[in-house]
Amino acid sequence: MINLAQHVVDTISVGGLYALTALGIGLIFGVMRLINFAHGELITAVGYALLLFHGWPLPLAMLGALLIAVVLALVMERVAFRPLRGADPETLLIASFAVSFFLQKLLALTVGARAKGIDFLPSLGEPIAVVGIRLQVLQLATILVVAGLLAGLSWFLGRTRAGLEMRAAAENFRMARLLGVRADRVIAVAFALSGVLAAAVAFLFVAQSGTLTPRMSLQLVVIAFVGTAIGGLGSLVGAAVGGFLVGAASVILQAVLPFELREFREAFAFGLVILVLLVRPQGLFPARGLKERV
Amino acid sequence: MATAEPLLAVSDLHVRYGAVAALRGVSLRVDPGEFVAVVGPNGAGKSSLLLTIAGAVKPQAGTIEFRGAPIAGAALEAIVRRGIALVPEGRHIFGTLTVEENLRLGITVRADRRQAAADIEDSLATFPILGQRRRQPAGRLSGGEQQQLAIARALLSRPTLLMLDEPSLGLAPAIIDQVYGILAEVNARGVAILLVEQNAARALDAARRTYVLNAGLVRLDGTKDTLLGNAAFDAAYFGVEMAGAARP
Repeated sequence: MINLAQHVVDTISVGGLYALTALGIGLIFGVMRLINFAHGELITAVGYALLLFHGWPLPLAMLGALLIAVVLALVMERVAFRPLRGADPETLLIASFAVSFFLQKLLALTVGARAKGIDFLPSLGEPIAVVGIRLQVLQLATILVVAGLLAGLSWFLGRTRAGLEMRAAAENFRMARLLGVRADRVIAVAFALSGVLAAAVAFLFVAQSGTLTPRMSLQLVVIAFVGTAIGGLGSLVGAAVGGFLVGAASVILQAVLPFELREFREAFAFGLVILVLLVRPQGLFPARGLKERV
Repeated sequence: MATAEPLLAVSDLHVRYGAVAALRGVSLRVDPGEFVAVVGPNGAGKSSLLLTIAGAVKPQAGTIEFRGAPIAGAALEAIVRRGIALVPEGRHIFGTLTVEENLRLGITVRADRRQAAADIEDSLATFPILGQRRRQPAGRLSGGEQQQLAIARALLSRPTLLMLDEPSLGLAPAIIDQVYGILAEVNARGVAILLVEQNAARALDAARRTYVLNAGLVRLDGTKDTLLGNAAFDAAYFGVEMAGAARP
């Protein structure tokens, strides 16, 4: 029973991390049909920024790292993706690979490709007992941060003018522009938000792993992307749920698979993904706007 | 040209999509407060004309002047700010957003937010069916209701020129009457209208002047009286090349 509760908390916190990553990717896909693989480099950049700001007061270091993610996201959009706006999704996807590799190699050249240790928020690694269940503070913090960001994001999208314009642009970009919605601004806001989400993921991820490498976010982004595909590309609810499910599935498989098979849990997880996509090629929550385009 | 300064003056407009020419030198004008229709068969270039004026399609050549200023090639969101609103073919309401949210998008360009919010309430009262369904997803409205929503939304930007692409498409005759009634009221309040229709009879009835567009060229223009019963009209509409059919 206690063991089960620990697994549940573990599942929710890992799933939540993937849900946040998938939302960052889903926001950008919604407004410009770009699958941004360079989203991972935003997460990586935050990790290295925390190293750079080591010794600063913690809130200041985190704020600085968050600003770096937001600025990098905006620069990425302005330099790499704006000139390609309206291009085929394939072209955009390949451009995002280019940005991703460029930033990875740039980090490897300047900081080095070897892993670096970082002691970020070590107090979160300590165990606490909640009603007799031993948990890591980090897991609880992850769940709280994920819940807070999901609530904040749905408030932004549901209650603010900028959120309304973003939803309209995601459903029908040209009609939104015909009504006066400024394309540059909606897309910039989406990128800035994806930077904020990347920073939150990076804080939790780095606190958990304690190491930095230029390729540290690859796994996160690949799994989160798979999550957005399962959820239904273009749907934010789908991205969050899909990201959560894929993350949760890997934790559950880790717990229930016989020991000899655990090494292959990703194979099982992606097998499930293929099954889901065979049954529902549009994803679990297909976006309306996308269907109309087909 | 004619008497007063035109509100909209399109001159020698050329638009092509790859190898396909959609407009091959179209010229037309709309005077302030005037109700103008463009009729023609499917594929005549009518939608391309409106989309180009609205900035969604870039012309290869030609000029578009609105209130004396050139607007050809300007961005969509800039053109609506100058006072041109387009209700595109198929209406393009945001089906996942509520009726009220669709209307709130209509005031995107308004600086007077308080008055604009009051205008939303006004249009919910003017179109009672929208008022009853303000919190429902707009995708659940019927075709006629969606057309009302699209028109109400476009009017909230307070345009000087309202452009509509096939507003009667897919609607029952009684609903079409209703839509044209709304357009007449809007026009009576001083908003100029540029209407594109395949349904020539309706358009000729409603508009003060009508242009006949076929295969990317204006073949004929005039009022209902000069066009109907004119042998050149059928020829122009159905694309039969006839000597002397160019201008009445």
